[in-house]
Amino acid sequence: MLTKQKSEKFTPDVKWLFILGIVAFLLVFQVFPLLYLVFRAFFGEGHFSFDSFKRIYSYPLNWQCLKNTLITSTFTMIFGVCIAIPLAWLVGRTNLHGRRFFRTIFVTTYMVPPYVGAMAWLRLLNPTVGTLNVFLKNLLGLKSMPFNIYSVGGLIWVLTTFYYPYAFITISRAMENMDPSLEESSRISGASPLKTLFNVTLKLMLPSIVAAALLVFVAAASCYGIPSIIGAPGKIYTVTTRIVDYVYVGSKEGLSDATSLAVFLMALAFLILYISEFAVGKRDYITVSGKSVRPATVDLGKWRIPLTILVSIFAFIIVGLPFATVFATSFTVNMGKSIFAKGNFTLKYWGIITSRRTIIKSSLNSVAAAALAATFGIIVCIIMAYLLKRTRARGRQIPDFLITVGSGTPSVVIALALIMTMSGRFGISIYNTMAIMIIAYMIKYMLMGMRTVVSGLSQLSLDLEEAAQICGAGWLRRLKDVLLPLVLPSVVAGWFLIFMPCFYELTMSNLLYSDKTKTLGVELYLYQTYHSQQTAAALAGGILIVVTILNLALYKLTKGKFSI
Amino acid sequence: MKLTKKLCGLFTVGALVLGLGACGGDASGGGKDISVVNSDVSGKVVIYTSMYEDIIENMEKQLEKAFPNVDVEFFQGGSGTIQSKIAAEMDAGKLGCDILMVAEPSYSLELKEAGILHKYDFSDKSKLVFDYDPEGYWYPVRVCNMVLAYNPDKYDKSEVPQSMKAFAEDRTMKGKLSMSNPLTSGTAYSSVVGLLDKYGEDYIKALGEQEVAIESGSVALTKLETGECSEIMVLEESVLKKREEENSTLEVIYPEDGSIPVPSPIMIVDDEYSANANIEAAEAVEEYFLSKEGQKMIVDGWMYAVRTDVEEKPYDGIALTELLKNTIPVDWEKCYRQREEIRTMFEEYVTVQ
Repeated sequence: MLTKQKSEKFTPDVKWLFILGIVAFLLVFQVFPLLYLVFRAFFGEGHFSFDSFKRIYSYPLNWQCLKNTLITSTFTMIFGVCIAIPLAWLVGRTNLHGRRFFRTIFVTTYMVPPYVGAMAWLRLLNPTVGTLNVFLKNLLGLKSMPFNIYSVGGLIWVLTTFYYPYAFITISRAMENMDPSLEESSRISGASPLKTLFNVTLKLMLPSIVAAALLVFVAAASCYGIPSIIGAPGKIYTVTTRIVDYVYVGSKEGLSDATSLAVFLMALAFLILYISEFAVGKRDYITVSGKSVRPATVDLGKWRIPLTILVSIFAFIIVGLPFATVFATSFTVNMGKSIFAKGNFTLKYWGIITSRRTIIKSSLNSVAAAALAATFGIIVCIIMAYLLKRTRARGRQIPDFLITVGSGTPSVVIALALIMTMSGRFGISIYNTMAIMIIAYMIKYMLMGMRTVVSGLSQLSLDLEEAAQICGAGWLRRLKDVLLPLVLPSVVAGWFLIFMPCFYELTMSNLLYSDKTKTLGVELYLYQTYHSQQTAAALAGGILIVVTILNLALYKLTKGKFSI
Repeated sequence: MKLTKKLCGLFTVGALVLGLGACGGDASGGGKDISVVNSDVSGKVVIYTSMYEDIIENMEKQLEKAFPNVDVEFFQGGSGTIQSKIAAEMDAGKLGCDILMVAEPSYSLELKEAGILHKYDFSDKSKLVFDYDPEGYWYPVRVCNMVLAYNPDKYDKSEVPQSMKAFAEDRTMKGKLSMSNPLTSGTAYSSVVGLLDKYGEDYIKALGEQEVAIESGSVALTKLETGECSEIMVLEESVLKKREEENSTLEVIYPEDGSIPVPSPIMIVDDEYSANANIEAAEAVEEYFLSKEGQKMIVDGWMYAVRTDVEEKPYDGIALTELLKNTIPVDWEKCYRQREEIRTMFEEYVTVQ
């Protein structure tokens, strides 16, 4: 309603300037490069042809890959959300022991590069000598190894452990911001806590849950590190691993073949977004209004201890085991022997990562690039979320759609599209600068921030802003004094969620870095591929420690208001 | 303008050849004369390479000494990464480098045909023991040797295959083997072509039945160490590096039916496409890499030299003359012309279940 009055008057409005600016940015730096790539796939030989499409999509292996991607991402999404909902509720809304601790633990896998975790799981669960496999086999007196990580199930397992935090973060934020009065009235009317959970809490949470599911799906479908390490030995290929295969052929045909296949992922992202919009429909529940207080804590009663134990076991399996493996690797000389074997323990790799000048320089580059990408990204997200939730502008879903497509596009495709279009041929020359990396990061990772801000905003009642407007506050003023303070926790969380994956980003950085803009992800990749798994493990461990400290510091400084 | 540049280049080359000739007899003190000549060239030269990061650091230092006025900068990445970067850069019309030290000769054939390489007449061609382009568009600069490797801590040498043939056919090894992906790795692809020529399509079929895992060399080495794999087909340099730097006990097996040495080329990018259009300096740097002195840096990086007159051998490796006695040859033309077919065949037999 706010905008309707405005648009009827046709007065130029400062907010439209912002919005137009951002749409222009997305058009130039995302839509144009990706469209150019798609165009190239069709017009590779100078005229329109479906040849490369036909070739790619008539090949049985590629169909198998499409199937694998759909299966693994769907199950990852289902499991991820099923894990995230109870965890978010237990950690956010009940009197579970050590809630704060678990909250930090459950987002840990978001803070390390997935391929490092994949290596850990590979060591734990490989069917020949997997540590956990051998342990369980001896413990239970089995004849064969209980698990085989090189299977579709194994791939789904690792994907789930790495991508459920996307859902956990989104859902727990929404859960903690909920208006408690609805639940209270349900309780007062005689419903049990469980019944209240299902009939009120979960129903109110639906938009956030759908958003979370979407995130997990897109992230799993466009992930490369995990399927390349876990899938390949079991001959399970996904669309992303195929795309990278085509790209690394290193020829122009390879590139257009890769694009043709990438179109599938882009279309998938589009479809998912459409379905989720359709599923949620107009049902946006406003749960945060002016009167809101912090939601009540549910007393778990006699379930408190058993549930705490259950959550602890879960945390141990999903986070404790793989991270212990990563840390153990970083101290081991010969990975064929136990870390406790004589002379097999070393601090050498930690020495390397803390003393090499290139690593320190790369870390600083990464901090700068990730911070800038997160800052610009979150600004785009706030304004686009505002456009989506607070205006009735025609086509307001388009930026949201673009951000989703960007995120669903494999990193390697984004990087190549940017190289082709941003090296001066079309008037913009930012190749080999940090700018091109920041833009690539934004395109790939803004979605997390966007979803977080949108879900924060969609729970916010309009009357607070209307009240401010009635008092005479302009758009900028309302944004600054009403909207921003209320969505600030979401914004800070969103910033972090963009920052983290950019901080250790690998695929795009690897193609885009230059001598002066080498990043941590590139270093990590170099150590990982050049035969020092241990140095890579130490580096990943270092990243984890630094980020955890940052997160805790943020929590302490803001008295629990901001952290992920 | 262009003519003067060319003349300048010719002059430099001439001077270099003279310089090399002058120091030919006295290998130890020769470096001095080279640097005197090399100080004539200046500016910046960017090299794209897939060599190890560690050895690049050493090279940078040596190049700094040899070329006091040239700023030589390396961009290091996997060969797949670099090839795709180059493909995208070619599309944009300009490369980000002046010299390429990446992939294998079939890639050079492709780039030569694309017309982005610069022709250069290396002064000491008679010393090269591997194929080079007779027109001078590319020369081999380092040799990556494909061998087998096993872990003596976990298996006895007699338990694991001793030849490339047995690697594919010894069924007791089923599911315990690993090799690099010929779709993404040039050396793996070249090796597959060599083996295909020697043993025919059946070899590839056998690899598939053997359920060989296709993954990156680093993952394979880790699996060898933990005992998950019994044997892997891998580049010798990666094992030697681990032996020297980490006192690893992993051992190389030189296959009875021959190892597969894959020479990796050095190429100068044509003026029109190069980042700095600094042909004189690029030529001087190429000349240096191919010289006896330059080749020593390669050997220090666990790879084999391309000249027989380099006596040093890689740490724990064998002498080049020894290596050359038993090899499986690779047909580079075939690698280039039949790439699509061979890749698809490999995919159908090995990659897909």
